Amino acid sequence: MSNYGWLRTLLFFVIVFTVQSTVGEWLQILGIGPDFVVIFVVSVALRFGAATGCLWGFLAGFTQDVYAPVEWLGANSIAMTIVGFAVGQLEERFLTLNLPAKVGVLGLAFFVNDMFYFLITGLEKDVVTTLFVTKTVPECLYTLVIGGILFYLSSGKKANV
Amino acid sequence: MLRAFRFIVDLFTQRHGVVAFAFFLVLGILLREASTQVRESVVESALSTVFYPVQLLASSINDFKNLQAENDHLKAENARLRQETYHASEGLQELARLHTLVRFDDKWDYPIVTSRVVGHNPGRFLTTLVINRGTYHGVKDNMPVMSMNGLVGKISKAMMTHSRVQLLVDPNLKLSVLERRTRVVGFLESMDGHLLSAMIPSHAGVAEGDTLITSGLGGIFPKGIPVGTVRSVRKADLDVMSLMDVEPFQEFSTLEEVFVMQKEPDWIIQELLDE
Repeated sequence: MSNYGWLRTLLFFVIVFTVQSTVGEWLQILGIGPDFVVIFVVSVALRFGAATGCLWGFLAGFTQDVYAPVEWLGANSIAMTIVGFAVGQLEERFLTLNLPAKVGVLGLAFFVNDMFYFLITGLEKDVVTTLFVTKTVPECLYTLVIGGILFYLSSGKKANV
Repeated sequence: MLRAFRFIVDLFTQRHGVVAFAFFLVLGILLREASTQVRESVVESALSTVFYPVQLLASSINDFKNLQAENDHLKAENARLRQETYHASEGLQELARLHTLVRFDDKWDYPIVTSRVVGHNPGRFLTTLVINRGTYHGVKDNMPVMSMNGLVGKISKAMMTHSRVQLLVDPNLKLSVLERRTRVVGFLESMDGHLLSAMIPSHAGVAEGDTLITSGLGGIFPKGIPVGTVRSVRKADLDVMSLMDVEPFQEFSTLEEVFVMQKEPDWIIQELLDE
């Protein structure tokens, strides 16, 4: 990644977190909203590979950790690092993924992130089951729709360039 | 310098990012395993420096979006309040007389610090807020935080110019509550950082739609702050207790302003907290 690329990703990172704190709330339906942060980590990891995916995954997770209970510090960082690394293995330099495949990767990443988060925070099994049904599944579906649109728009832009 | 940077970048990108993965994983584990003091200082440093400008940006955008709606709402409320003022002044005079008669202890006679929400968790589990008032403005740890609708939480960490608010949905915040109709005391907590649940003795007959307020026990929250309504009641593991889902009066994700009640914990609680 070039120096210009780092700066651009940093700006993208700030925009994503601002969007998550503003637009993310406005888009909520019955308390269910999309997760732009996972879309960001998946996009960066697919575009730049595992090492960069780990870095931005860790930074994104740490940013979420800062606003979570202090006792859970590190849970998001670890979960997002794992997502960044795993998705980075499918780097677009070596593989060409079509839109449905990218959306599929996003969905898997979402589940992996939540599962590791629940595992690390040590929540009880019943609580995890409830959260999985009431939060993870509906928010994953919502994120897939938003992520699919964003992936489609970005691929169109690339094609035009 | 540039060579050193390149060397580090090359090292991290080796073997499909395994080195970077191991590094960040270890960093994450170190954060998990660090002492509470270290975690607090990490969070405090991050909030006070890197994240503060972004928080301000996000809260400004939210403020701008809500300006028109708030203006309309305030106009309508202003008209209603004008009408109510006349009736209220008469009621206040009567209340003052009654207070004197029964030697009523005005339990909410604490100064209030109004503050703006400048940051909250960009993730999906909202358990913490950041407000733009800190020790400089008289805010201290463990002071109750409320909105116009009801209880929001308490100050978990007061810094110089801003503070962190621990919301009711934080699994680490447990609270003694009182059911307004039956006057039975129970406790409220969130087990998952998302939903609130209360445990109240079954014999009390608390039903759906009943209102929970703070009980004043525990020494942090004064008695009588509205907390939420009972949404559903079911049996707990112990037959003598009922477990109920609680709908808070305040939707936490839409909070813009909160009020910090300058009530410090009772001395005995303060000693326990210090320990």
